[in-house]
Amino acid sequence: MKVTVIGAGNVGAKAVYYIAEKNIADIVMVDVVDGLAQSKAMDFLHAAPLRGYEVGIRGTTDFAEMAGSDVVVITAGIARKPGMDRMDLLRTNVGIARQAAKEIARRAPNAVVIVVTNPLDVIAMAVLRETGFALSKVIGMAGVLDSTRFRWFIAERLGIWPGDVQAMVLGGHGDDMVPLTSFTSVGGIPITQLLDATTIESLVGRTRTGGAEIVGLLKTGSAFYAPGASVAKMVEAVIKDEKRLIPASVYLRGQYGMRDIFLGVPVILGKNGVEQILELPLTETEKKSLEASAESVRRAVRDLDTL
Amino acid sequence: MSRVSIIGSGNVGANAAFFIAEKGVTDVLLIDIKQGLSRGKALDIMEAAPIRRYRNSLNGSDSLADIAGSQMVVIAAGTIRAPGMRREDLYGENAALIRTLAPEVARLAPESIVVIATEPVDSLTALFTIRSGMPRTRVLGLGGILDSMRMRALIAREMDVSMEIVSAMVIGRHSDDMICLPRYSSVSGVPVPQLLPADRIANIVSETRSAGDLVVELAKRSSAYYAPSAAIAEVADAVHMNLARILPISLMLDGEYGIKDAALSVPSIVGETGVTRILTPELTKEEKDTLAQSARLIASVVKGGAA
Repeated sequence: MKVTVIGAGNVGAKAVYYIAEKNIADIVMVDVVDGLAQSKAMDFLHAAPLRGYEVGIRGTTDFAEMAGSDVVVITAGIARKPGMDRMDLLRTNVGIARQAAKEIARRAPNAVVIVVTNPLDVIAMAVLRETGFALSKVIGMAGVLDSTRFRWFIAERLGIWPGDVQAMVLGGHGDDMVPLTSFTSVGGIPITQLLDATTIESLVGRTRTGGAEIVGLLKTGSAFYAPGASVAKMVEAVIKDEKRLIPASVYLRGQYGMRDIFLGVPVILGKNGVEQILELPLTETEKKSLEASAESVRRAVRDLDTL
Repeated sequence: MSRVSIIGSGNVGANAAFFIAEKGVTDVLLIDIKQGLSRGKALDIMEAAPIRRYRNSLNGSDSLADIAGSQMVVIAAGTIRAPGMRREDLYGENAALIRTLAPEVARLAPESIVVIATEPVDSLTALFTIRSGMPRTRVLGLGGILDSMRMRALIAREMDVSMEIVSAMVIGRHSDDMICLPRYSSVSGVPVPQLLPADRIANIVSETRSAGDLVVELAKRSSAYYAPSAAIAEVADAVHMNLARILPISLMLDGEYGIKDAALSVPSIVGETGVTRILTPELTKEEKDTLAQSARLIASVVKGGAA
């Protein structure tokens, strides 16, 4: 098995780290900046005797080396800096993603593509169009990250082991994401039986701004441990055909009443990419939030159409 | 390193030692009255260490006195079922063993967390708690945790999803009257009743109830031991790492659901001091009645001293 990670920045490198530790696939890191992917791959390999990696790790500037990859992750792109126009960010990152998509279509035509570059739901659309891949093969990483943050906040609050918390966060990867409290439980017990409504609402709020909270603390840069771990979880689900039920941004054709849009919904992830999209019964409030979330994605896609 | 002592080096005890060794964080002492048995099994496991790379120590002993200073003591000794037997049929013989062991464990390892794996587990957990005089929060019976593991496996198989994302809750007596709670069971947070039709859930529940019997029937000369040993290792991990995990553990109830004087499995938060909190998710009247009926059976068996 072979995984390629495009973009050797913090998120890409951390994803490579988590994937390498699982020892499940050879890894290629590609970055257009000469020396960046090579140096990080070299650094990883220096740790191989200690960590006992059984997989190969290569860094390169040459997209040709991704040939035959089973999974390709796109993390390349710039982060939004204070004062930067949203359209400038979109223009730059769409350009990067389209170039990556072109290379993927040519060199790894059977790959499942996991999109991480922001604005996620829009970039995923650009990648789908550019590759011409089957709808089930292009997936945006957002819900796993938003859910793991929500799960941690709940575990921290209750003073329990985070692995026992299950949660589902839908919608776009933005401030209007939709954490579903009715699909959130602790050891199977709905959180509504363990926490009062005000507390839950505050944890939901913190989840929505979880990325921004870290940006605010770091001053320069954004989160990469949890995003890297989220990418690795999705890669593992595909490589090992785990059929894992996770929230991910996928192309909808009528599910949840949405069409021609990438939006975070529960899917079963396996070796073919999206094996199934689950339609959960939502409350009226949740439906409205999902619609609001979809509307902001649609607006951004209209911007994409002008580029 | 802190130590887990396992009394009884049969299949359950030895495999628990094996699973704990693989986690690599605690030393293990196997104890059996059968001369040499424990040392033989410990040696066999340790001789795999160079390949499996664990670095904790495993030892065997014929002397109960060696449990002194253990952080955890597991009771895995006693007689097992033959095909056609009920767990309750073992009470007479195994209760005699518990009556001998309880005061000895309390004397030799008074600060330890005790895990009871011997059947019938709820009655023996109650008996051990009474006879040892140890606090109820430190005598944990292996009932619901095992039943819920089996239910998880069955849900995952039925839905063809990864087992790891399934959580399930089974409470009550570790017998035919166990209470499987599909509404408190979920896949990535989504409650099972929203994912499977009622008839398929009914099948899962009935298979969960008879899962232990099926293993005895098929194996003929042994009862289940891989899953029970894995459950022991899970509890050991929660205690040793102070995880505050939510596990359905059998312990003496003291007013929870209106029940006293009987041990039954209820979702409990488990950490280094044993059970730190007992959760009482909402139950229907019928479920509460079943629980009360199970409690009466256990209390009368323990009081009567016969099966």
